[in-house]
This record gives sequence, structure tokens and C-alpha cells, in this order.
Amino acid sequence: MADSAPKLLVDGKRIDGRALDELRPIKIVARVLNDAEGSAYIEWGKNKILAGVYGPSECIPKHDQSLYRSIIKFRYNMAPFSGLEEHGKSGPSRRSRELSKVLKEAFENIIISESFPKTQIEIYVEVLQSDGGTRCAALTAAAVALADAGIPMKDLPCAVAICKIDGHMAIDPGKEEDNYGESDMPVAFAMRNGDILLFQMDGMLTHEELVQGLQMAKKAAEKIHKIQIDAIRKVYDEPKEERLLLIK
Amino acid sequence: MEIIDEIKKDMLFSFLSKGRRADGRGMMDFRKIVVQPSPLQNAEGSSLVAIGKTQVIVGIKFDIAAPFPDKPDEGILSTSADLLPLASSMFEAGPPSDESIELARVVDRGIRSANTIDLKSFFIEEGKVLALYIDIYVLDHDGNMFDASALAAMQALLCTRLPKIEDGKIVRGEYAGKLPTKDKVVSCTFGKLGDKVFIDPSLDEERGMDCRITFATTPTHICAGQKGGWGAFSYKDIVELSELAIKKGDELRSLLRD
Amino acid sequence: MPGELISEREEHISYAYVEKGKTYSTVVGLYSNGKIVPLEGPYDPLAEDTVVGVITEIKFAGYSVDINYAFPAFLSNRESKEKLALGDAIIAKVLSVNEVKDVELFEAKRLPAGSLVRVSPVKVPRIIGKRNSMIDMLQSSTGCQIFVGRNGYVWISGKGNDILAEKALRIIEVQAHTQGLTDRVAAFLREHR
Repeated sequence: MADSAPKLLVDGKRIDGRALDELRPIKIVARVLNDAEGSAYIEWGKNKILAGVYGPSECIPKHDQSLYRSIIKFRYNMAPFSGLEEHGKSGPSRRSRELSKVLKEAFENIIISESFPKTQIEIYVEVLQSDGGTRCAALTAAAVALADAGIPMKDLPCAVAICKIDGHMAIDPGKEEDNYGESDMPVAFAMRNGDILLFQMDGMLTHEELVQGLQMAKKAAEKIHKIQIDAIRKVYDEPKEERLLLIK
Repeated sequence: MEIIDEIKKDMLFSFLSKGRRADGRGMMDFRKIVVQPSPLQNAEGSSLVAIGKTQVIVGIKFDIAAPFPDKPDEGILSTSADLLPLASSMFEAGPPSDESIELARVVDRGIRSANTIDLKSFFIEEGKVLALYIDIYVLDHDGNMFDASALAAMQALLCTRLPKIEDGKIVRGEYAGKLPTKDKVVSCTFGKLGDKVFIDPSLDEERGMDCRITFATTPTHICAGQKGGWGAFSYKDIVELSELAIKKGDELRSLLRD
Repeated sequence: MPGELISEREEHISYAYVEKGKTYSTVVGLYSNGKIVPLEGPYDPLAEDTVVGVITEIKFAGYSVDINYAFPAFLSNRESKEKLALGDAIIAKVLSVNEVKDVELFEAKRLPAGSLVRVSPVKVPRIIGKRNSMIDMLQSSTGCQIFVGRNGYVWISGKGNDILAEKALRIIEVQAHTQGLTDRVAAFLREHR
């Protein structure tokens, strides 16, 4: 990186004016697509992400089938126009393949797949606009889409990242904090018992910092979980025949 | 799946033979159309369009590229379409399908033929031009992706900002005014089953019909056409529908915002 | 909500999950009288279910039937009095479901010409109504014969107003969890007849 790192923390406030334990604004709308069995749209900061779910349907190719459970497929994809930078390349990058894998594994713990032998459940996430922290927003939206589809799950998981900026632990790094921060640690929780379903980390942290970060993440996850539940409730509190994606 | 197509065909036929459509609208009525300009901010231009339950988002990006050798003073226009797997259980993840390539090329031809964008203005310096990428993302498929995509592409172009260029490079996040556009191009697609012709086919209608024809138009001209499906249109059909496409196109054009 | 604690004890009920002696919901649903009624979800075939299906393949010993499940069900020749053709709609009952969810049907009857509508399978009880009240109202107001399968396939036939029937079905589907639905549907049907 040729640019010098900007100062990420001034008088205890972050670049976008947030406090260390403050999330960016999060908005979730469930059931925005017609053909998908379940769907959800999330705005998290400037991230704009759409999730859709299909299944259980016949698992194709057949050699992937399991007689004991449903196979979970997860595709995380970034639109070529999602970033502020140059036009994206088509086809999955190494990054998006890795993310698809860890996200899929998080849901393998949660979806009660034994109910549907020989089938597959497909989860598709499309990042329409990216602003740092897309994997956490993707997991959070995918969980709502799965619940909307009525796929049985042990939990309604959500995710948030923790970062270290100018020597302090903070939650939910924005794009610049992601790029210039000293550490980045996305974590997904099962809310009923606090189990950790996704964990990645880079940068340097002491053990104390890691534990402090996890505690902050858990607290933030509770707020996110409430937003997820409200989004699902809204589908039934204000029933609509029309399913339409509305983006300001 | 084939069986369900046959059933759809029977259902469609019994409706159309009584001169009506399964959702109750007239033969030459579009479904409800919702146009949202600029839903995205990182892209230089964007729009989200719904025709009935079909939803399409279009994003526009600029890059700097080398011009094509045969047109050294012209910029590049590149249109592609993704039929996202979340849009339909019929779509699969992976390389572009024939269907998505056809869709992108028909939208591209309309915009290109009408000179909606002046590609000559994209010249920066010897060996350097602007490349404009139109990416069509089909989010929800309930038929007539062509007209939804063309409408979304046009609306996205209308709200596209030109990138700021310094020292032959794009300064991201800064803009140099609006992209100038000429005539507004939209398309109208007609389906045919037996001798019945109808506009804006839904997915059920698409699955049952014999063929379709798309006309892209400006307020004065027809600027692209594409027939698809195994069936055939009569000479008279083409004469009448190409005229109607301009008239119906005006209805669509009135939904666009500058 | 999935993962929501329902009981501090072990309760073995549908759409619930027991972990360390406690019971959690696995779906978005309504919980009352020790039962979870899911608000959305795929068709999960059970023996004795009445289903509507479409013949998708003719085999030596019987038929493959699309019943809105991941895999087609099997209908033996012995279980169908009439000879069926590809694309025929039938109403039948589920004879058996084995451990890998292969479904066999019996007591099949061919349905008259009509159209197929797919609704959310969990909304079917509401579409039928208490003692068939909702479906009777739909049939009498639209003049259509309507066959509702537990699997979420609905077959609308006859010379009635099938467009109106489908519209009414959609209203019931979207508002299935609300109160006073029968009255609203009745009003809708009166208004549009």
C-alpha cells in the first residue's frame, strides 16, 4: 500500500464518528424475491447484499448426494459493480471461494439437514455493494433467508467482525479500518448458546485483546439478532402480496 | 420439467383462446412496472427495475482500457448479463449460459445502434480510452427479462456519472458531471401461441408459448430486433408489432427519469 | 424463531429441537398448546396425506408423480383404477414414506381439466378451513371445483372464475396467520364476483 495509513481514532471517535463498540446502521428486509423459497436484503453501513435460498431439492450431481442428510451449498458472489474501484472480473475469485466455504460450514452446524435425505439446500448471496465486512453481513442475511424459507434450523445465527485500530479493540470495521487496522476478526455466533460457527482472524493480537474482542462481538451480535428477528416478524405483521426489492 | 411445460401450454391455450390471460390483464398490457434510479453508490450508475415479479438490477462501471485496434479513437462499451441462481431454480451458477449471452447482446445492440452513448467522447489520449461496462443482474425471474433488462440499463445510463480523470487515471469517488445520453432506448417483447399475440410474457406464458419477438426502439426508430423460440411470426405480425413497439415503448420511456 | 427457547424441559414435538434437556424451535412459527405451527416451509411428506400431483413419467410398474417434493412419488399400476397419461393431474393419498423419504401413493383419482397452482404447503390447513369452510366458500363463489393437496398443489377446474379463485388463494396464503381471514376473503369474493 503506497498510501500512508490514516489516523483511525481521534478523541476516542472513529473515522465515521462511531464509538469503539458502536455498529454501523443495519437494516434487514425479509422476503424480497418471488421465485426463491426464502430471501433477505441487508444494508449494513454502505454494504448492500441480497440472499436467496432454494431447496430442499434433488441433489445434483448425484454423487454429491447423501442418504443421511441434505447437502448445503453456499455461493458468495460479488457483483462486478459492487466496489468503488475498477470493474470486477467475472467468475469466482480465490477469496470468494474461501468465503463460500467457511460460510457454508457455519450453516452446516445450524441447518437440521437430517430431515431431507438425498437433497440439497442452496444458499446464494450476491454482494451488490461492498463496504467492508461483507462476509458478516452475508451470513446474517443468509440466516434470515433460510428462516424465511422455513428450513428447520437450530438457531438464527449472525456475525460481526472485531478489529484493532490505533491500539484499541473495536467492533464492525468499515472499509478503511479493514484496510489499515492492525487486526480483523470476523466471528459468527449461534445465539441460543454462544457457540462460535465462523472464526477467521488476521493481524496481531494479544490473548487479552482477542478475549476482549470476542466479548464485544457477542454483545453486538445480540443487537444484530434483534434486527434479524424484527425483519422476520415484519413479514407477518404487515403481510404483503407483492414481493419487491426496494433500495433507496 | 418438460411435462409441466406441456401443462402450462394447455392452460395458456385455454386462456388465450378465450381472449384473456391468466393474470387477468389485456393482451397488450404490461404488468406493473417499478423503476428505481441509482440504488447503488459505488457504481457510476445503477438502477433497479421490476416488471411484475421479474426484478433486474443494472450496475455501470468505468475503467481505462486500450481501444480496439480498428477504432483507436473510440471508447469501449461492454454489456454482460448474469442470470443469478437466486433468481430462478432454472438458473445455475457458473459460466454465462447461451440465454444470458443472448440477453446481453440484444440489450447492447439497441443502445449501440441508437448511439445513445457517444463512444468518441470516451477518447482520453493515444492508446487510452474509457471503457463502460453495463452489468445486468437478473435477481428474480418471472418472464420478460429482455424488457426489464433494457429498461434498467437505460435508466442506469441516465443516472450515470462520468468519472474524474487525472493524469490518465480515474480518480475513484470523484465525478465530472453526468454521462451525456441521446435517445432513450427501450424494448418491447411479444409472445405468440397459435395465432394469439401478447405483450410482456410472464414466465408461465414463456414456458408455454411458441415464440417471442423483441423490438428495441427510440421514439422514432426501431433499433434492434430479436426473434426467439421455434414458432414463427407472420409477415403481418412483424409489420404491426414493430409499429406497436414504438407506441408501447413511449409508455416505458415515460417511466424513465433523467 | 429458530433457536428460540420453548421449554426448559425436553419436549418431543414437531419443528422443535432438544439440546441439553431444553427444547428450542427450529422454524418461524406460532407456539401454543404445546404445538408449533410453522409459518413457512417445504412439504414434508407423511403417510395418509392427501396430495395433488402430476404424472411425469410412465414406468413399467407404475407412474412417477410430481408432488412438490424434492423427488417424485411412485404410484403403482395396482393403485390406480384408470390408465393415466403424462401430464394428468391426480389426487391421491400417501401410502408410505421410508427412511430416505421415498414416497408411495395409493387411491389415485384423475382430476378433470384445469390449472395447477402452487401454494405454500404450511398454509394448506387455512385454505381448507375449519370443516372445509374456506374451500366450500371458494368453490361456491367462483363456480370452480378446487382440489387442495397437503403438499401445496391446488388444482382448479370447471367452468367457473378460475382467475378469481387463484387470486383468493393468494390472499389466504399471504394472510394465513391473521384473524378474521374468512370474512375478508368472503368480502373479496363478493366484490369481484
